[in-house]
Order: sequence, then C-alpha cells, then structure tokens
Amino acid sequence: MGIQSNVEVQTEWGIVSARQAGRNLAKEAGFSSVDQARIATAISELARNIYLYANNGEIIIEFLENENVSPPRRGIKITARDEGPGIDNIRNAMEDGYTTSGGLGAGLPGVKRLMDEFDIDSRSGVGTEITAIKWLR
Amino acid sequence: MRIPILKLHKYLLISVQVELDDQTALQFQEDLLNKIHQEGSLGVVIDLTSVEMIDSYIAKVLGDVVDMSNLMGAKVVLTGIQPAVAITLIDMGIMLHEVPTALDLEQGLEKLQQELED
Amino acid sequence: MQPSIIQMIHNQRHYIIDNWLEEINTVQTETVGNNVPKEMDDETNRKFIEMIIDTLEYEQREAKGKLRGFVERLIYSGWPLSYFTRGMQSFRSVLLETMSSGEGVNSKRIFETFYEIETWVDGIVNQIADEYSGSWENTIQLQRHALNELSAPLIPVFEKISVMPLVGTIDTERAKLIMENVLEGIIEHRSHVVLIDITGVPVVDTMVAHHIIQAAEAIRLVGAECILVGIRPEIAQTIVNLGIDLGKLQTKSTLQQGIEAGLQMTQRKIVKCNTESASSVVIGG
Ligand SMILES: Nc1ncnc2c1ncn2[C@@H]1O[C@H](COP(=O)(O)OP(=O)(O)OP(=O)(O)O)[C@@H](O)[C@H]1O
Ligand SMILES: [Mg+2]
Repeated sequence: MGIQSNVEVQTEWGIVSARQAGRNLAKEAGFSSVDQARIATAISELARNIYLYANNGEIIIEFLENENVSPPRRGIKITARDEGPGIDNIRNAMEDGYTTSGGLGAGLPGVKRLMDEFDIDSRSGVGTEITAIKWLR
Repeated sequence: MRIPILKLHKYLLISVQVELDDQTALQFQEDLLNKIHQEGSLGVVIDLTSVEMIDSYIAKVLGDVVDMSNLMGAKVVLTGIQPAVAITLIDMGIMLHEVPTALDLEQGLEKLQQELED
Repeated sequence: MQPSIIQMIHNQRHYIIDNWLEEINTVQTETVGNNVPKEMDDETNRKFIEMIIDTLEYEQREAKGKLRGFVERLIYSGWPLSYFTRGMQSFRSVLLETMSSGEGVNSKRIFETFYEIETWVDGIVNQIADEYSGSWENTIQLQRHALNELSAPLIPVFEKISVMPLVGTIDTERAKLIMENVLEGIIEHRSHVVLIDITGVPVVDTMVAHHIIQAAEAIRLVGAECILVGIRPEIAQTIVNLGIDLGKLQTKSTLQQGIEAGLQMTQRKIVKCNTESASSVVIGG
C-alpha cells in the first residue's frame, strides 16, 4: 500500500484536515478505535505546534510496511515539518508542562507517549522536523 | 459553527455534535458564559458522546470553561467521554482532575442535582 | 574442514556412532533419570547424530538449513538445551578419541585435526543454542498472547456495579488491554461503580500502581467511579514502604466491602429478609 497524504498547515483548518486525514488512514490500516484516536490526537498536537510556533508547514501521513522483519510490521508514520524558529531547548520542550504559549505543555511529551516511536530534529532558525510511528499490533 | 445550548429549568444542556475545531471551541466558551450570566444558571451538563478526539488544546479550553463557569456559580459536569478519548487523555497526561463526570446526559443531570443538594 | 578429516570420520562412522550412543545413555540418566522419554530413544538419538555427521557432506549454508529443521523438531518434541550441549560434548570427545587412536596420524596433524573438530562442533552447539533461544522467544511471545487474551472482561455483579478481577503479572501491554476492556465494559453495562480486584496480583510495585492509578483516572473520565479492592496485608505494606501515592483512589481490603461501598454510592443496600415467612411461602406454595 503506498498511501500517503500531505496536508499543508497554514490555518486552523489545516489542523482539522490533517487529523481527519490521519484518522481515515488509521482506520483503513486497521487500527483499533483507541489507536485511531491516539494517531489523530498526535497529529493534532504536531499540526497545532506548527500553526502556533512556525506559522506554516506540512504534515505527511504515510502507511508503513516493513517486510524485512518477521513477522512483517505495518504502521503509520507522521512527519511534521516546518521552517520556523526551531526549538531552542529540546529537553525542556519534551518535559510535561513546559510551554512558551500558556498551553498545558502536554503536546510533545504527549505525542511521544501516544505513539510507539518518536524522533525530533530541530535547529534554531532553520526549522523543525518531528517524526512519529505507530505500529499495528 | 456554533454549538447549540439548551435551557432546562436552572440548568444548561449542551450536546457537542460537531468536530471541535479551535474556533468552534472558543466560540462555545464565550456563548456558554454569556448564557450562564443571562439565565443565572446553577448547573451545566456538557455531553461529549459524539466527540472522537480531545487534544491538549481542546482539553485546556474545556478545563477553562469549567473553571470559569464555577467562578460564575454554575457547576459543570462532563458526560459521555468515550473510552478512546479517555485513554488518549490519560496517555497525554491530562487528568481533568477537578471536573465532575458522568456516563450520559441523564446521569449528568442527576449528578448536578446531588451536588447542588449538599 | 579438510577432506582428509571428513574422510576419516566417514571411515569410522559406525564406530563413532556406537560409541556416542553409549555415552549419550549416561548423559540421559544424568539429565532425565531412568525414565527416558520416547522422544529420546536410541532411534531418535541415532538419527540426530547421523544427521550431524551427514552435514559434513553439504556446503555450509545447506548444512545449517538441514540442522535447523531437525533441531527445531527436537526442541519441539522436548529435548532440553542441556541435553543438546552435553550430547555435543560427548560427540566431541568420541571424535577426538577416535581420531587420536587412528593409525597414521602424526602429532602435528593431530593438533590441526583437534582444532578443526573443535571449531566444527562449537559451530553446531552455537547454532543449536541460537535455535533454542529463538524458539524460547517465540514461546514467550505465544504465552504473552495467551495471557493477554486471558485478561478477563468487566463482570457486572449488580445493576450499576461491575468487577474487574486482575490475575497475574501486569505489564504495560496488559495494562493497556485491561484499560480498554474496563472502559468498553463500563459503557456496555452502564456501570456507575467499578471494583478493581487485585487479590490475584502477586506484586504491586510502582509500575503496577501507576497502571492502576491511570485506569482509575480513565474510569473517572468516562463517568464512573472506581474502588480498588483485594488489598492483602503484604500489598498494603509494599504500597506504603515504596511510598506509592494512590491519590484519591478509594480502597477496601475485600471485594465484599467494595460491593457494600458500591451499593451505598448508588443509594442502595442489602437487607436481610424474614426467612421464616419466606420458607412458609415456599411450603404453602
Ligand atoms: N514546531 C515548533 N517550532 C518551534 N517551537 C516549537 C515547535 N513545537 C513546539 N515548540 C516549542 O516547544 C514547547 C512545548 O510544546 P508542547 O506542544 O509540548 O506544548 P505547548 O504547545 O506549549 O502546549 P500544548 O501543546 O499543551 O497546548 C512549545 O511551547 C514551543 O515553545
Ligand atoms: Mg503544543
């Protein structure tokens, strides 16, 4: 399956369409309703961060299939990419409750817990790329 | 998009039937507070049965609505939070600690009545 | 391996096999006692060792494949790892002994021969150990699966009151499953009060406590209340000694107390009815 969707995040509507696209793909891939909610929520967090801190960027949602391991693993990968200000202190940003915008500071640490794999690559003044994977159980 | 707010005696009933985007959520916050003020409501039940996802932003707006309503003298009960939504909230580390909950609208009303009695 | 050594082994094949079968009998009595299971009878032993010797004919990859298939079957039939390793040890000594007593072997050659045989047998032992750990991991996977399926559903005991009995060790995977079961069950049975019964949980450490607290929070979010029951004295001790904070979670020592509390929370109680009049009704009817 080579399904992939790219959603531009420029307005609040981008947040909604990104998470809806994620939920649809998750449903198609056969994720449980709980995992569908986890994936949609994670996308919502990442998309909102783009909207809030980088103004615009994109969310890429892909179906993954790894045949090289046994049993083969399938899952969904989210990539959130922007060319915003970057995150100065990633360690702080990953802490529960840390926020620079009066939010709950639950977004990034939350995404990490909602998904199975999480990776963050951010450079000050260059931008941020966050990838997260959820595997089908 | 506006979320309808129904009045039942001293209570307000809200059943969220739309996708809660940021704008809708903020609009709802404002509408509800105005309505509480207008009607002098003592309690509010917000039913979330149809809500498929609550992220940290929506959670914050909801938590704020509860605190603000309490300030205005109206108790709020959240009802119908779906298992998948509850689990994601827990994963996110969002507990909504002080917020009363109930299974559905009907139970929510009962809970309000109980809370207002004692 | 040098063709000359392979040739030697083939020449002495019968002698080697017979000697080994004798040795393995001693190993058998040491590892499984006198009651030799039929999976380890002479016939199987013989097939095993013949297969090992036959692998010398194949090139390495093919040999590995043959060995794997055979060993897998033996593991499945219940050959313990120690039996394999001890068996291969005896095989090595039989080989070395045969080689050194063979004619026309000078001392320089014997050293090389020993070395080649050691390497060959070690390779086989390593592969067997690998197969073994592989199958072991599979077994664990399977058991884990079984355990997950075992996790009981939420049981309604009275109207509005349900019980979730937890049995066995609770890891993250299981905790997730249990949480989903409980929440779906609450919606299905319209439960107002959920009793989580940990009587069957052997150890409550910080990890388990964390999972229980999270489950209790989720239960509250969907609109029910949770009571933790089945707290045995030693569990109470570990909870306090570890400094685990159960927060506002209600607890009771027995399921019965929990049910009484649940009834009270739903404005009900159990009353005793007049047994005499009850029995007279029965007799009269
Ligand atoms: N794409 C991004 N670009 C730049 N900074 C970011 C980005 N994403 C997150 N950050 C920084 O990391 C901090 C933590 O983000 P996180 O999502 O965890 O919390 P929050 O957005 O502040 O609050 P919440 O998500 O709970 O509403 C943010 O406050 C912000 O400073
Ligand atoms: Mg955020």
